[in-house]
Amino acid sequence: MKRLLSALLGALAIAAIAFTSPAFAESKGKIYYMVPTLLDEFQTESVKAIEKFLADVGYEAVTLNADNKTDIQQSQMNDVINLKPKAIILAAVDFNALVPSMEKARAAGIPVMIFDRQITSSPSDFTSVAGTVEIGYVAAGEIQRLLKEKKGDVKGKILQVLGDPADPYTLDIQKGFEEKMKEFSGVEIISLPAMQWEASNAGTIVADQLVANPDIDLIFVHAAHLAVAAVASLEAKGKKPGDVMLVSSNGAPVGLDLIRKGWENVEVEQPLYAQAAAIAMFADKVVNKQEMKPGTYSVLGLDSTLTIESWGPNLKIPGAAITKDNIDEPRFWGNMKAPTDPVKPVE
Amino acid sequence: MISPRQRALVEFVLDNLVWFILAIVLVIFSATIPNFFQTGIFVNIIEQSTFVGVMAIGLAIVVIAGHMDLSVESVAGLTAMITGILFCARGIGMGITLTPEWLVLPVSLIIALLAGSVIGGINGWLVVRLRMNAFIVTLASYIYVRGMVDAISGGRSAQDLAPALRFIGIQTLAGIPLIAWIAVLCFAIFTFIMARTPFGRHVTMIGGNPVAAFRAGIKVDRLVLIAFILAGAIAGLAGWLLAIRTSGATANLGIGMLFRAFAAVVIGGVSLKGGIGQLPGVYAGVLLLSSIQTAMNVMALPVHYTQMILGGMVLAAVLLDTVKLQIRQKLA
Repeated sequence: MKRLLSALLGALAIAAIAFTSPAFAESKGKIYYMVPTLLDEFQTESVKAIEKFLADVGYEAVTLNADNKTDIQQSQMNDVINLKPKAIILAAVDFNALVPSMEKARAAGIPVMIFDRQITSSPSDFTSVAGTVEIGYVAAGEIQRLLKEKKGDVKGKILQVLGDPADPYTLDIQKGFEEKMKEFSGVEIISLPAMQWEASNAGTIVADQLVANPDIDLIFVHAAHLAVAAVASLEAKGKKPGDVMLVSSNGAPVGLDLIRKGWENVEVEQPLYAQAAAIAMFADKVVNKQEMKPGTYSVLGLDSTLTIESWGPNLKIPGAAITKDNIDEPRFWGNMKAPTDPVKPVE
Repeated sequence: MISPRQRALVEFVLDNLVWFILAIVLVIFSATIPNFFQTGIFVNIIEQSTFVGVMAIGLAIVVIAGHMDLSVESVAGLTAMITGILFCARGIGMGITLTPEWLVLPVSLIIALLAGSVIGGINGWLVVRLRMNAFIVTLASYIYVRGMVDAISGGRSAQDLAPALRFIGIQTLAGIPLIAWIAVLCFAIFTFIMARTPFGRHVTMIGGNPVAAFRAGIKVDRLVLIAFILAGAIAGLAGWLLAIRTSGATANLGIGMLFRAFAAVVIGGVSLKGGIGQLPGVYAGVLLLSSIQTAMNVMALPVHYTQMILGGMVLAAVLLDTVKLQIRQKLA
């Protein structure tokens, strides 16, 4: 009995401390972050960044992982709607399938912010993206430069290794990339998907293509972790750094390592920290349903453009091309040096 | 009536049907697909069969024993991640080095085999001692072991594997990568064990009729437990090889391989009811799947076709199995 009583008193004391602590007193409420998966480094780091930046502006972030399954994310959305949070941050597993859930949340008065994976088919309250199609554009620009430097003209054979063919993210990058490359008739692009974004599938594709098309000049993979397997296949075929040019996207630490070791030429980064910071900077406006003014905003030093689109306020943050010349800049999330200065809400 | 010689010929064809199909498929691909017929492509087919092939050995042993193991893919993912975390120098890798450097090879292999054996042992114990359904037990393992991979990696990856380990992923012997030789060696060893040792024969008997095997004095529970432990250890080996091949590990490494391993087992002539099956047939099944995958890669065909062909082949394999059974009944 004595033990039970002291346990109860202890629990009460802990609760009292928790409820009267400054952090709890200052919290503006909970915002749920619906992360599509935690099986890649971009998403894992996005959780940390969003939780940190939202805390800077007074919100408590709660993360739910959908494990890359659309149905799970739909269920999570339904559950969260019942909890009536201040807002939901959605990085959709499937751009289209989550639209009804998003509409349901907004109909219940819960603002929805779109993070990283753009949804344009239905209105949302705020979008923070680098633009997946734009990543393809940046990659195309860099690849044109690399081919010109090596061959004197934009020509040659490119192996493009996509991610899972059912993921609109990779299809958008492909769309942007091929759109910018189609004007160069001397460029042949061979595109193959690595099922389920699994690295050994990418390695297999590269190994096969190096035999079938030994004249491949450049390999473009849609995620840095696939680049690691691509390099392993190049190495197994006796290639040395620089023999076949390599470009990757998303800016993960593994991609930066490959640049440092000379295997990779360019990593097109998604500005993860800035995308997450922007969510926090505009959180008050979204939660309080205040008007947002179009224009240029500085997000962690990056000039980002806010436009009012048919689907709502859309902040586009420029993606960057990482090369050996700028690789050590701390703004690249692949260096894993998250900004420590607190972000401030926009006026 | 057919003569004994004709009967022997038919039996031989039936026993090795998947090898004949593989030969026909390779001839067709070589004749019709540009750039397919070259040594490099055949080497790739053998190399790419390594991981699913090794995984399929353990799976086939459990299936022949009359059970099921859905956990092999996740176990391979786990041992790949453990190898990556311990012996990779970048990412989440701890970059452990040993002196002399080559010691990393046996130490990492033993760790991988042990980790796989532990999961396999838990599966086997639950099936044998608690009489739980193997499908459910290993389905749970499939889920929680992948969760362990996610938990220990935090979703991050390990890269830059120790050079002594990468050596196996890069070096060749007689023009064939060392990792492929390891797979071939595994098939040779376990083919011998399954065909020529009391363990193999008893496991096959248990799969065919566990009650009869028990009455014949065979220690059914013990052998089933060993089959699960072996499947786990072999999956651990597959994961170790995967880490070597990709020079590290990501949290989703190996995803999707379970179904290819299952397809190879079925195409290779192993009966899902247990008691029937030979490992060389399984290897032929893996080579067949790998040939199709390689052909798709060389032709740059959309991957969806591979999935459709894979599904179609599994169905065809089951149909063929039925036909084989009927032919054998007529011959008897």
